[in-house]
Amino acid sequence: MPKNSKGKEIAEIIPDKCIGCQLCVAECPVNVITMEGAVAKIDPEPCIGCGKCFDICPTAAVIFDKPRKKKVAGAVPRPSALDEYQGVAVFIEARDGHGAEVAWELVGKARELAEKLGTRVLGFLPGTGVESVAEEAISYGCDVVHMIDNLILGPYLPQTYGKALVQLCRQAKPEILLLGATPLGRDLASVVATQLETGLTADCTGLDIDIQERLLLMTRPTFGGNIMATIFCRNHRPQMSTVRPKVMKLPQKDSSRQGEIHRLEFEAPDGTLPRIIDFIPKAADVGGEDINQAPVLVVVGKGACDSQHLPMLEQLAQLMGGTIACSRPVVESGLLPYVRQVGQTGKTVAPKIYIGVGVSGAVQHLVGMQGTEKIIAINSDRHAPMVQIADYAIIGDYAEIVPEIIQGIEARVKRSKP
Amino acid sequence: MNIVCCIKQVPDTAQVKIDPDTNTLIRSGVESICNPYDLVAVEMAVRLAERYSGKVTVISMGPPQTESALRECLALGADKAILLSDRAFAGADTLATSYTLAQAISRIATDETVDLVVCGKQAIDGDTAQTGPGTATRLGYHQFTYVSEVIGVDLEKNTITVRREVENGSEIIEGTLPALLTVELEAASPGYASLPELVRSLIQEVPTWGADDIKGSPESLGLKGSPTWVKEIFAPPARTGGLLFDSAENKDQAIADFLDVFFEKEHEILDELWSVDKG
Repeated sequence: MPKNSKGKEIAEIIPDKCIGCQLCVAECPVNVITMEGAVAKIDPEPCIGCGKCFDICPTAAVIFDKPRKKKVAGAVPRPSALDEYQGVAVFIEARDGHGAEVAWELVGKARELAEKLGTRVLGFLPGTGVESVAEEAISYGCDVVHMIDNLILGPYLPQTYGKALVQLCRQAKPEILLLGATPLGRDLASVVATQLETGLTADCTGLDIDIQERLLLMTRPTFGGNIMATIFCRNHRPQMSTVRPKVMKLPQKDSSRQGEIHRLEFEAPDGTLPRIIDFIPKAADVGGEDINQAPVLVVVGKGACDSQHLPMLEQLAQLMGGTIACSRPVVESGLLPYVRQVGQTGKTVAPKIYIGVGVSGAVQHLVGMQGTEKIIAINSDRHAPMVQIADYAIIGDYAEIVPEIIQGIEARVKRSKP
Repeated sequence: MNIVCCIKQVPDTAQVKIDPDTNTLIRSGVESICNPYDLVAVEMAVRLAERYSGKVTVISMGPPQTESALRECLALGADKAILLSDRAFAGADTLATSYTLAQAISRIATDETVDLVVCGKQAIDGDTAQTGPGTATRLGYHQFTYVSEVIGVDLEKNTITVRREVENGSEIIEGTLPALLTVELEAASPGYASLPELVRSLIQEVPTWGADDIKGSPESLGLKGSPTWVKEIFAPPARTGGLLFDSAENKDQAIADFLDVFFEKEHEILDELWSVDKG
């Protein structure tokens, strides 16, 4: 262990492990840690060698091995007031008289979490004319549905839905609240978490329970998907998390399931509300078919970002019964629109067949397609991450390979269906 | 019209990777950049300021070197930049960050009216999209997320009309000022700085505000005001690969082999696909 000139044993930061989260900067009692570029650095002379930076560092980037009792972050007893929060709640986003599919995916996950915790699954359902959605929620696995059915909860506004969900949390006191990471869900989750002053973790890909501490462990990709982080919220309730559509599995619907429906009163929020003047539905020929729904995606990557060969890739997609999607660099180049982007900052997809053409497979792209059934990679670089994970990888020049594949498929289809 | 833009300096995430063997970051050559979504926000704010004769103040919370990201925004045409930097801000999650930004905006609003706050849709390092709506909630402003276009501002009636992108289309919505927008990439395209702007951006003073300047309550700032904690960090799980067909030696053979195996092994998926297609 390094010492300073006074002979004091001090902590040291390994720059390669530091992710620049600044937790140590905040924790240092003598303010000797500063950010140097994206990395924290300890000034050795004034360091008192207390080891607090070592305790708080999430990446074990601090070298400190002086024998001492290791204190875990938040080893202080948890406020007992948190014990009255019980149950795993799911926000049910209603659209045209049905719950959004992502809500049911989350109800499925909530069941699993609730069983580990020995508690119930609650459905939080604000909306207008949503009685039938409440029944649907029970058949997907909710034990209790807390419903606010009110005319003011028509089209989504952060003010009205925010107030309704905050009210539901205050009345039903769930320990966990899950929301779908749809545009609406993400907007709403931030409003509610801020009003309740609780922790919110966006776009989780994994949810689990630390049963000893009775904590929700929320795992999400961060740094553009290059790193996975597990996050928890110890002293605030509810523990809130958003999850993207298609990340969790859709549970079986069982219409014979029984549950309770609680109807709650609601008063409109004070102040002027924004006014929705018009709604323009997505035209089919503008962003194209929803890449979320296509069973087959031919995904154009940086290595195939060429307008000359795009028709050929479109032909392959059409032949397979799917559509074209792309990675982020292709959107940035202007070849394809943003609505076709797969990945962390684009859409999460789970097609039956994914055909990546010249897609290297940066992690921020991979996190958007991890639910895919079969992956085909066409790439000139055999070491590309996409090739490493593909079920089928064809190495070579896509401009030569794709036409042959098209021919081959056409021939085989003809043979099987004369 | 006075506009405040909230920006963030981020590591260029495309360059950050984790070594799956040692579980350490490979970060050689990783630069800090201004979050690309925020550059769009600044560009949009500058255009609005031109259209409605206003001015743009850019603020950012971060360590002292965040100043370079603020100067980048001055070069894009922002009039003023303020750095929010204090040890007490360090270790903030989105809840504490929105508190700090809201306090700073409130302080700006005591000296001059703030009509509009513009933020990027999300930051590319965390991708949470939480700080914008959180800040609006704390300020009690009307919030419009995923804005692709500002249709108009009526300074007499104190209203703003925007187009925002939602699940199945776009919404045209009108709210009152002050309002907070988070903007999509297509909302504006940041251009290049002109030479005079570039020179100004390098020499203009960028004041630093600390916790006292924004009247920040210690309990709500930085690590103390952050309910979420990072438990651990690891490399994303690897999916194991499958069959490899190399076209280098015999292209036709490699592709034929691939199709044979693919049609045989995946005939169930293919039958389902094509039966739906024909039906």
